[in-house]
Amino acid sequence: MLQYAAIVLIMLGLYGILTQRNVIKIILSLNIMEIGLNLFIISVGYVTDGIAPIMTTNHNTNSLIYVDPLPQALVLTAIVIGVGTTALGLAIAKNIYSKYGTFELDEMEEE
Amino acid sequence: MSAVLLIAVPLLAAFISILNKKLAPVLLLLVSLFNIVSIFFYSLGTITIGGFEAPYGISLVLDNYSLIGLIVINIAFFLVLLISYEKVKKVATVLLVALAGLNGLLLTGDLFNLFVFIEVSGIAAYLISTTNKKYVATFNYLVIGTVGSSFYLLGLIILYAMVGTLNMSDMALRISSEGISAANLSLPFLFMFIGLGVEAKLLPFNSWVKGILGNSNKLVGPMIASVYAGTISLVFGRILTSVFVVSDRLGLILTVILLVGIVAGETMAFASTKLREILLYSSIAQASLVIILFLEGITGWAVMMVIANVISKLVLFAIASYTSDELKTDEVDNLKGIFSKNKIIGVAFTIASLSVSGLPLFMGFVVKMNVLTSIFDGEDYLLAAVILLTSIVEGVYFVRVLIKLWYNKEDAKTINYNFVIKYIVSVLAVLLIVFGTYTTVLNDQVETVNEVFEIGGNE
Repeated sequence: MLQYAAIVLIMLGLYGILTQRNVIKIILSLNIMEIGLNLFIISVGYVTDGIAPIMTTNHNTNSLIYVDPLPQALVLTAIVIGVGTTALGLAIAKNIYSKYGTFELDEMEEE
Repeated sequence: MSAVLLIAVPLLAAFISILNKKLAPVLLLLVSLFNIVSIFFYSLGTITIGGFEAPYGISLVLDNYSLIGLIVINIAFFLVLLISYEKVKKVATVLLVALAGLNGLLLTGDLFNLFVFIEVSGIAAYLISTTNKKYVATFNYLVIGTVGSSFYLLGLIILYAMVGTLNMSDMALRISSEGISAANLSLPFLFMFIGLGVEAKLLPFNSWVKGILGNSNKLVGPMIASVYAGTISLVFGRILTSVFVVSDRLGLILTVILLVGIVAGETMAFASTKLREILLYSSIAQASLVIILFLEGITGWAVMMVIANVISKLVLFAIASYTSDELKTDEVDNLKGIFSKNKIIGVAFTIASLSVSGLPLFMGFVVKMNVLTSIFDGEDYLLAAVILLTSIVEGVYFVRVLIKLWYNKEDAKTINYNFVIKYIVSVLAVLLIVFGTYTTVLNDQVETVNEVFEIGGNE
């Protein structure tokens, strides 16, 4: 079920990127897509009734079901990278604004 | 010493360079030089990171395939730095990160690690391209690049859910041992193909190229068109040869798309009137051709074609971008006769462009001839016909450009090319002739590269 939500978010983001002509809105759509993607990655490792993958001495570990820890580690990396690209995108958006005085791609005179 | 240093030293230097802006360009040159020298001292093999053995931890693979890539890319990177030294000063830190990312792309044996390096080198590429001062083009590049790498990640995760590993050689083993059908693999493969295709300038995903390379200065042009393009092609080769086995039907679809890419690229190049646009469309066609060769399994010669492209695109883009930096125009009609006053530059440009279009005596010819021989052996006449036809088109537009740039001496503009660029482009041009006539080296290298993949992947 979680996967469907993730795919809807990815599609929503892609739709935004394809249809919007405002620099900030495109960056927002990019973010929505990335959140969907991260949700998808997490959903891959999800196990129903699974517990956090932490080894403890209290339990007999053989009888417990863990969620897959690897996708969670991947998501951490993906989130960091996503934040990096967003920051860079906003910095470029600022440069675009100070050069053209607008965020609308259609109003800029492309040379 | 272990090959991790190729990635770790530039990254460390990147952090140090933030502290002292004046020292940064010098540090960049030193680190780049260190990388070139140190490559020759590493022993081949798999490097385990953090003590976790191969399928569990991240591993770097240094075999003959990545070794030859590392040598070519690091030397090309250093030469680009020398050519554009005054542009480098502003973005020295970024270039250090880019160097780490590019080396990581070539070395890594882990698919998720590959994604991280794609993003690292990608973000560096966006920042390098801001030196063009065309921010809308950079923004387009950023959006398309990010969407592309997201697609790559999506494909990768689907693959992980199916196979349960991220290590390249382990993935190849499990795919064959668990009998996962080619039809099931085609979805994640296509996602990853799209993701890498964005950076590799393949046809439907390359709308960023015109904005970036069409306005390129002497740093961005050679860096993106030669160094980055070569690296991504080699990454593509690694994935197509040692991870996936593409089914016949999917292979046919991809081949047709890539063939359309070649034809479209050459046609656009033929129709363009600006020097940098001609070169960028030509390099789009070349990129598609290289990927086709990897798909067809002509790995060794595909690697040689990547190297030939790195050398000749470096010469072509360095000269074209330098010229348009000086004259503020790159309409071929406005550049008439510039080579008659700069003979060395002119000869180097001529050699590089003739090598790309595949005239005898130059490296491009040797590569193209051997490629065509293998294709005819495989009885794939359509592909051979397209390559031959596009070579003719290539020859026509390059000769047309060359005639315009050499003749009309009266109203020729004078440009002062500095000593460094003259020296570098002539050495590279001589290299193209050397490899074009003394083919034993190439044959040997092709055999060592082919041996890497014959044993069954990278153990």
